[in-house]
Amino acid sequence: MYRERKKRSIFEIMSEYMENLDAWADELLESAVTERPSWDTQSRCLEPLCNIFVTADEVVVTADLPYAQPDTVEVEAVGENLIEISAKMKHKVRFGDFGITHRKGEFSSFRSRAHIPVPVKTERMKIHFKRGILEVHLPRKKGYRIKAE
Amino acid sequence: MLQGLPDVGLVGLIATSYIISELDLDEMAYVDSDLLPPIVVLHQGLPHAPLRIYGNKNLIAAISEVAVPVKALHSVMRKLVDWAESKSVKMMMSIGGLPVQNRQDIKEPKVFGAGSSEDSLKLLREKGLEILNEGFIVGPQALIMRYCTERKLTAIALLAQSFYNYPDPEASAVAIRKFAKITDHKIDVSDLLEKGEEIRLRARDIMRRTQGELTRMKKSQEYDIPLYV
Repeated sequence: MYRERKKRSIFEIMSEYMENLDAWADELLESAVTERPSWDTQSRCLEPLCNIFVTADEVVVTADLPYAQPDTVEVEAVGENLIEISAKMKHKVRFGDFGITHRKGEFSSFRSRAHIPVPVKTERMKIHFKRGILEVHLPRKKGYRIKAE
Repeated sequence: MLQGLPDVGLVGLIATSYIISELDLDEMAYVDSDLLPPIVVLHQGLPHAPLRIYGNKNLIAAISEVAVPVKALHSVMRKLVDWAESKSVKMMMSIGGLPVQNRQDIKEPKVFGAGSSEDSLKLLREKGLEILNEGFIVGPQALIMRYCTERKLTAIALLAQSFYNYPDPEASAVAIRKFAKITDHKIDVSDLLEKGEEIRLRARDIMRRTQGELTRMKKSQEYDIPLYV
């Protein structure tokens, strides 16, 4: 056993390590694409597509909200670094509208929650809604500043 | 031959599906591979392969209703180009998106062209397209470009400014207009633009799954600046 281990070159060990890392990253990615529907018939909500970008100064959360009524688009800070996006739709959408007959249900709003990966000032968030895309700007909390000598 | 596999903003998939229905192309073949997920898609009660090929005498078009796993992409694209060559296809065209950060501020997305040869670049310029001079192309159109160059087949990619991971029917519409101009087809995109919100709603699930594959293929490398001194 010991001999076998000794025979392996550093390149082989590195290669195996990289393969394991790739497999782990794949698994992580699989779990990120949640294996659950993007709709909920009980709450009549659709989960919108969302994205989070972290820049040096702020975190920008965007969401694609087709058919959303602009005056109903809301963003609420529901916890530290957690926001909830919601909007009512201009009209109800049924499974039948997509040609699906084996499921029943209708949807009248969008709702989703987004975890903000870094500390932000939720009380200073700004939101814009333009052409069906919601943009939420959250300023990042500042840390210590050290000047180079 | 035109290909529109799921990619950024689903620009190619939306555009190619629309072209197929507007030109009334017939389903003629499908791609099968053990590397593709075990899926069949039902339309009007009948099963179809998710990766299908449509066509008529003048045009062949390939689409996929599921995100193509990165592990399958090389062999699928190689097979598509081989098949196209065996059918004496004159040109391989790809429609795709070119992600831009301020997309919601752009009313009329610009379409850039990439070509596999000087002749194809000349054609793109003649049709009024700006050429993608320097940069990276990642994904299906990159492989088409590479395999076509190897086989000395003309390849063209039409890349419309688009959202990265939101379905973008407007970007598809401008790309279709350029496609129509190059291939002398008449395609009215008003219906596509009218149904834009409906398409965005319907496309949420495939966009979500495509996002995972975009990350795996390191699509964000298209933002990188190449180094060739």
